[in-house]
Amino acid sequence: MMTKVGIFTGAALAAFLSMSTTGRADTISYADAVTTLAKECGSDIKKVCGRENLGNGRIQACLGKNATKVSPTCTSTLGSVMTSIAQRQEAQASVFKVCEHDISQYCNSVKGDGNILSCLIETKRVDNRECNQAITDAGWR
Amino acid sequence: MIVQGLRISIALGLAFAPCVVSAQRLDNSQIMSTLGQVRSAAPEVDVALLVEEANANVGKGVAALPNWNKLTELSQLIVEIDFENNSTAIEPESYRTVGLIADALHHPDLFRYKFLIVGHSSSTGDARHNLELSQKRADAINEALSTTFAISPDRLFSVGAGEEWPINPGHPESADNRRVQLINLGLLK
Repeated sequence: MMTKVGIFTGAALAAFLSMSTTGRADTISYADAVTTLAKECGSDIKKVCGRENLGNGRIQACLGKNATKVSPTCTSTLGSVMTSIAQRQEAQASVFKVCEHDISQYCNSVKGDGNILSCLIETKRVDNRECNQAITDAGWR
Repeated sequence: MIVQGLRISIALGLAFAPCVVSAQRLDNSQIMSTLGQVRSAAPEVDVALLVEEANANVGKGVAALPNWNKLTELSQLIVEIDFENNSTAIEPESYRTVGLIADALHHPDLFRYKFLIVGHSSSTGDARHNLELSQKRADAINEALSTTFAISPDRLFSVGAGEEWPINPGHPESADNRRVQLINLGLLK
């Protein structure tokens, strides 16, 4: 009995710790996001939106408009895929701002976005948690 | 430089054959390393002139035309993106490839560059129709990248080559000729 309680407490503690250290879900790549969309909604897209394209929100609009004909898995996946894409975009747009201080401190003489990023990643002294997390969330490691 | 692009397309051809999972072999670092190589002497390409030349030479091929010929000197990659029959709708199975391109174009190493999407068809069907459809399909990829994936539209250009530049000239009707070229056009001014 004691062991069971012990395991339960351990698991709860681990879950609590992982929540408090990351505090958020990791972002995923654009490729992985739309791969999920194709997997969960591919047949619905072909069935009800066959002539519609990925661009300009037309697939979302079409799946939304035909919600009664679309599988519930697809409907819920669509929302999370769009959120994933938005989170990745937000993360990528924020990196150079979040890392501003580290850039001026460690990579001041470096020119070009690609080189600045390499400098940030290579500089072990960048221990700024927000900056490191921003680079990870942007998918640039 | 074209040789490298071709080698990748051949590798892809093999990867696509056995099963869908193999399509994932085209990865972000592959796209990045191929498209990131830019020579300082790379020629300037005017996309409006490409469209003009292709339209004026339907049925005669584009590879030897002065502006199209410049493309062979640029860093490029050939990918397979499938469309619904006679439509500009990208097949869901090819969403991943478009997403991989988006991941690469959003990386800081490629931030400064602009890209040309070239759509190619096989020789099945009318040549003029193939040219128009391949232009619209290249535009559809452009639109998906610039809206769904928020790549700045001033970095993206698209043009159709129709059946005018087969990768397998001995068999112009072969499905191998249906492909998309992604070309680094050089620095964004």
